[in-house]
Amino acid sequence: MATAEVAFPEGKPARTRVLGAWWSTAVGLAGTGIVVAAEAERTSAGREVFWNEVPGWLAYTLMSALVGLLVYGLVRHASIWMLGKPTPGILADWPNRLRNATRFGLTQDKLRRDRYAGIMHWCILSSIVMLTFVTAQVAIDDDLQLHFLTGNYYLFYSFYGDLFGLIGLVGVGMALYRRYFDNYHRIRWDERVEDHLIIWGLGVVLLSGFFVETFRILATELEQHPDWATWSFVSAGMALFFSVFEMTEPQMLFAHYWSWITHIVIAFGWLGLIVFTKLDHLLFAPVNAFFLRTDAPGRLNAIPNIEEREVFGVGQIQDFTWKQLFELDACVRCGRCTNVCPANLAGQPLSPMHLIQDLKRHLADVGPELQRVGHAGGDVRAVSPVAMVGEVIQDETLWACRTCGACVQECPVLIEHVPTIVDMRRYLVLDEARIPATAQQALENMEMRGHPWRGTAFERTTWMEGLGDVPLFDGSQEYLYWVGCSGSLVERNLPITRSVFRLLREAGASFGVLGQEETCNGDPARRLGNEYLYQILAQQLIETFKSKGVQRVITNCPHCFNTFKNEYPQFGGHFEVLHHTEFLAQAVQQRTLIPKFPIATNTVTYHDSCYLGRLNGVYDAPREILAVLPGAQMREMQRSKSAGLCCGAGGGNMWQEELGERRVNHVRTEEATTTGATGLVSNCPFCIQMFEDGIPAIQPDEESRMRAFDVAELLEQAVLGPDAAKA
Amino acid sequence: MHFVVCAKQIPDPETPPSAFRVNEQTNEVIPAQGIAPVLSQFDAIAAEAALRIKEAGSDVKITVVSMGKESAAAAIKQVLAMGADEGLLLDDDAFQGGDWNGTVKVLSAAIQKLGNVDAVFCGRQAADWDMGQTGVGIAETLGWQAAIIAKDVKVEGDKMVVQRVLPDGFQTVKLPLPSVVTVSNELGEPRYPKLAQIMQAAKKTVTKWSAADLGLDAGAVGASGAQLKLERLFIPQAGGNVIIIEGETPQEQAQNLVNALQADKVL
Repeated sequence: MATAEVAFPEGKPARTRVLGAWWSTAVGLAGTGIVVAAEAERTSAGREVFWNEVPGWLAYTLMSALVGLLVYGLVRHASIWMLGKPTPGILADWPNRLRNATRFGLTQDKLRRDRYAGIMHWCILSSIVMLTFVTAQVAIDDDLQLHFLTGNYYLFYSFYGDLFGLIGLVGVGMALYRRYFDNYHRIRWDERVEDHLIIWGLGVVLLSGFFVETFRILATELEQHPDWATWSFVSAGMALFFSVFEMTEPQMLFAHYWSWITHIVIAFGWLGLIVFTKLDHLLFAPVNAFFLRTDAPGRLNAIPNIEEREVFGVGQIQDFTWKQLFELDACVRCGRCTNVCPANLAGQPLSPMHLIQDLKRHLADVGPELQRVGHAGGDVRAVSPVAMVGEVIQDETLWACRTCGACVQECPVLIEHVPTIVDMRRYLVLDEARIPATAQQALENMEMRGHPWRGTAFERTTWMEGLGDVPLFDGSQEYLYWVGCSGSLVERNLPITRSVFRLLREAGASFGVLGQEETCNGDPARRLGNEYLYQILAQQLIETFKSKGVQRVITNCPHCFNTFKNEYPQFGGHFEVLHHTEFLAQAVQQRTLIPKFPIATNTVTYHDSCYLGRLNGVYDAPREILAVLPGAQMREMQRSKSAGLCCGAGGGNMWQEELGERRVNHVRTEEATTTGATGLVSNCPFCIQMFEDGIPAIQPDEESRMRAFDVAELLEQAVLGPDAAKA
Repeated sequence: MHFVVCAKQIPDPETPPSAFRVNEQTNEVIPAQGIAPVLSQFDAIAAEAALRIKEAGSDVKITVVSMGKESAAAAIKQVLAMGADEGLLLDDDAFQGGDWNGTVKVLSAAIQKLGNVDAVFCGRQAADWDMGQTGVGIAETLGWQAAIIAKDVKVEGDKMVVQRVLPDGFQTVKLPLPSVVTVSNELGEPRYPKLAQIMQAAKKTVTKWSAADLGLDAGAVGASGAQLKLERLFIPQAGGNVIIIEGETPQEQAQNLVNALQADKVL
């Protein structure tokens, strides 16, 4: 059973990730070196710091300038972030927050999701950190007159200085390759001069550092102390190369002197880019990781005291929280979010990266004026000449979001796009009442009829016909089986409800249903931005649950599951919630359900619904069931588990017309068909509907067509026989 | 200007067929369990028409009037949330069980009592019985002109300009004020209220008038004032019978189809 875990659950405890992180290599190396050096017999190895009368004052002057610049930049940034709304209690969960800052800042847990970029970035970051450490030791050694850069430690110091210089150059090389030779798509979506400047600048810093070392070794070690020089294995090699030119000593000194000047000036200049470019992520990314939400990723914030407010959503930039504004500055335009966004993959008008960048630009445009007017006590709501929602961010961009969380999952600097998008949707719906017509109909239907399915010909009890005695929940049973609107009112989902029911009965579960008393739990309203309607529906249902003595719930639908599990506690509804695949997997494990009949579908592929998978970490239970189905062979899709792709229906898009080149369900169905499986299995009534629609579009030939199933339908065939569903 | 929007609360037209039941003894619809009544969609569109004129800059007060039981206050609140200014519920046991004739009398009396009404907006028909008599009935009773099945309504000076939907096109008519207009779905979707408006509407009180308030004789309205008699209310038995027309060639199949249709006297 998955439990709610900090950030995105991936089915692996966070500890192993931190322990296994690449950082242990670096730390271990340095640590061991220090111990070895302290234990071993000292040699006389060492060197004069600031040899060759290089102007040490230049380094300190530049460093002071850099510190001044950083302070200026941070203060300027911070004063803009403070335009945002406060976030009370954000420090409360600080131990988890520190863990997140370590996990995502230091060990860069997210970066590995693109292996090449992960290795590249680790090379660069570890090199910068270790070489800063190397340089700092020079300063300490000289300023504090400690002179510890001697003997064995000096040799080891020389070794890891060169090693991490080399690692840094490998990283820079990988970056240059990807940017200029690999024609890699996503880093070109918003390419700017600074991108070139940062990587070339770093290359020059690292190379000039090696040249400083090279000419010093050439002049003082190569012949005099070749056994010392070999520890600086890169520089010594370079010195060996330069020795063939037979330079005179003044030439060596000259080359060393100017290499040093170049190195120092470019290094501090490069660090100065932190203030002006995306290099600021060096500071902001770990801090943003610290402020990352520590509750369930599938939960949206409640608007507190909604009936007493004047503004409900976010229509102006200063209505975001300071954290949401801070996030904008952490973005490095890497494009990982857009690269996995289902809307973007289908050519629809949403790119999470551009959304963040557009907001960032808008903040830069209006922020200073907002500050000025705010200080003068003026009307800040009248400041902006353009509407943030509608002009800076188009309505259709906001509506295209599936709230699937793929962007949030991928973001290496921990930006949370989905809550920001929903905040703006709330503005559209609650403040402006500007909604696509079909979505409006779904909302009105929820208001009037308690379900989003306008025009359904079914009743909440239709699925019960022919099933014999269907027990109503009266508080005496262990579980409430929550059927949901789709499970009872949408034709394709009715057989799934029946399958789950028959399996629960077969497993001997103690359960009952609510029948006519079920109403929408509010999830689609909340995702569509109507927080008011959501709160009304949620509070009503929580009351119903409490009055009936509901404690444990089995849901048909992952959206109901997420709402009950993660969102109802916001309103005092604390229930133990299982998705039907979790309960059924348990029953199979406990042998209360025994799959014995071979199923007709011999190859299956499994689609992780976003709200069960990515947002709640339930990846294994459905797969455990599929693994024990007699006669079924599993074929995973390329995008699966936490990298799964939305079916297209999430975020209220079940009830919207799609704008763009393709439909998301066609894209996903196509991915499923490439596995060659004959059954496309999911766990969500929306996904199933999307695939029922997508399969005929991708596979026009009816004879050889793939079929969409819920996990429960196949399990029922295996447990109760192929004819059970017909009975 | 003062506009009146007539709003009727009806059994939900989207009640699933299986949940729709009638009592054939009393000739009454049995309210479906757990399915709340709704505002007739055409009346929401009538409100939309009035609100568009108000938004276009005219100084308009909109009063929404409903004849019905206490529950009809929900329909009134819905129109208030859309942007209407005042709500008026005409609730009296004497109003129950009648036909359009009684409804017209009650609504007309209320409109007269309100006084200085410049225009009345009704839906083209109520979505339960679909008779479409109320709007023209009010005009007849008050001696006003009426334009029915409108897709666009504007006010120009002291005239109301109405674009009407005809079976074969559109017709634009000008009416003097006061007048009655019945509005059709061609006008467009009724608006979705902003939350701030919903909150405001929730705070507004709905005025309630009875037969006595309107000076109406209880015997002239409701069931006792009805002129139509409902003979029988029943759910028709729908059925189908499929015959596959055989034939070697398409021509032969077509010929057999024609023969069959002629035999059944369809052709």
